[in-house]
Amino acid sequence: MVDNIVFGIGITALAGALAAVAGAAEDVESDIGSQGDPNSQVQLAPQMGFIHRIFNKAIAGEPPAYGLWCALGAGIAWAFLAMQFNPILAIILGCALATFVQGVYATTAYLGRTASLAKFGQPVYIDILKSMTSVTMAHAFVAIFTTVSLCYLMNAALGHPFPLPLLGLIWGIALGAAGSATGNPFYGKERQYQNQKFGAGVPISASGNIVRYAEAGQRNSLDNGWFSSKLGGPASGICFGLIVFLELWRTVIFDKVSGGWGAIIVGIILILVFAVVDRYIETWARKNYGPYTTEETTA
Amino acid sequence: MSAIAAKGGPASMDMPSTLIGLVLFIILLGLMFVLGPISAFYALIGVVVGGVLIGFGVHFVPVGGAPAAMGQAPGIATGVAMLAAGAGLAGLFGGAWAAGQGTVIAVLTGGVGGGLMMAITGLMVNAIYVYGMGIPAASGKVTKDPLTGDLQAAYKSQGTEGHGLPFVSYVGGVIGGFFGGAGGTLIYLELLGVYEQALPALFNAKIEQIIPLAVALAGTFAVGIFLVNAVLAAYNITGTIEGPHDPKFKRFPRAIVASMIASALCGLFAILLVVMGKF
Repeated sequence: MVDNIVFGIGITALAGALAAVAGAAEDVESDIGSQGDPNSQVQLAPQMGFIHRIFNKAIAGEPPAYGLWCALGAGIAWAFLAMQFNPILAIILGCALATFVQGVYATTAYLGRTASLAKFGQPVYIDILKSMTSVTMAHAFVAIFTTVSLCYLMNAALGHPFPLPLLGLIWGIALGAAGSATGNPFYGKERQYQNQKFGAGVPISASGNIVRYAEAGQRNSLDNGWFSSKLGGPASGICFGLIVFLELWRTVIFDKVSGGWGAIIVGIILILVFAVVDRYIETWARKNYGPYTTEETTA
Repeated sequence: MSAIAAKGGPASMDMPSTLIGLVLFIILLGLMFVLGPISAFYALIGVVVGGVLIGFGVHFVPVGGAPAAMGQAPGIATGVAMLAAGAGLAGLFGGAWAAGQGTVIAVLTGGVGGGLMMAITGLMVNAIYVYGMGIPAASGKVTKDPLTGDLQAAYKSQGTEGHGLPFVSYVGGVIGGFFGGAGGTLIYLELLGVYEQALPALFNAKIEQIIPLAVALAGTFAVGIFLVNAVLAAYNITGTIEGPHDPKFKRFPRAIVASMIASALCGLFAILLVVMGKF
């Protein structure tokens, strides 16, 4: 019994660590490929007369895209496992094939979206396609591999009833949701609009005027990946890592307590703790940054 | 900018469409009553309740879409259906794990799983806004946070509709995740019950042999029905929503009617798939 719990905690910790890497890689990949909501500005910029060299592959949101790639990687790995392949080899092969699908997606999406901007004078840069597609694929492989691996651990080691491809779909969608929610504002506001004031939202009138020049020459998406890896990526990793770790932890440890009520109560306590921390952050910001106008004093 | 342009408030129910929808709903339930055993009929009712929970829950989730990614609008910077799906499916994962402990425990476990996912995500969103971008949370739809009483207008930066997650939006996200996770789990449990009953006769096999198939089939349909309801609710919201305090929240009755019909149709298909054979 104790051995089982200790084993479960170990697997939970490993899954949480894998999820942290997955979240970070997912956010950096989506920022290099410019797939999240901030890509609306990348698409808009040429229409406002700002020609740029940013990648552009947002033909699907991050959650469905990662749902597809992780389900694909998990499904192929599942097929190899059924053929008695070694699990590690099966997962690597499955994820490698899913990454090629991501590469095809990235290529066609970039060509299609950028070609649609031809009437605004936006060129399709072949060197961008050559140099950046492989980098997004590399990051995508890390994200898919870690996600499929943690799904395998949930299924094979912790005994979750869902088959591997279904777990891949569920956690792929959750990965995309967590990564885009946490990482998108940092890429959208802090990077694309680095020329705007710090500590304020981008005025709607500035839409489309994204930063297009780097320290040397024109900015490209590799520069954006470097920037995202400073905060947006790690924060997304912490977010997805916490989600996976705490979801497994409360189940593995407290599932059998009081006929299942243990896991529910612990989950509610965790939610309350996070709500208190969130409220603290909100009031800290109001106190330290203050209002933008003095309207409040007269209100 | 279409998301910002699509402001809108509460929309009234279109009575002729609602009545046609309710008639369709009754026809679908009647079909199930006639074509399947009574247990399958009750299972379909459970699927409909689960679908309504999801459709209702999505309206609580604060989603700012593309404008939120530039700090131009409050909410979480991703799509409505996608974020709700992320939270609800994470809940379904937990609920399915607790399936052996009874419906109430499993549904609550699924709900808490969805709420926990949203609690963590909402916290990290505010952490990025505050510590990464130096921007406090501010609502664009209300002058005061209904929960904390904090005034909002002065904390909106110039030329924006607000930004970040005010506390009422954060709580709304957790509630939305809870409803999503609970609804998804309920759909899964109802379908699993039907499949466990019908598949052994259909394949002339023992229940132990068909469990993996029943779990996979019920899980796949639960994910599918979840996405149908989440997308329907997203269409009802049109773009972005701040949470329960947003005037758009009052549109939820339309989504409930739509979710009832869509869930009944999807559930009917999922159940007839096995019930039309031997039961």
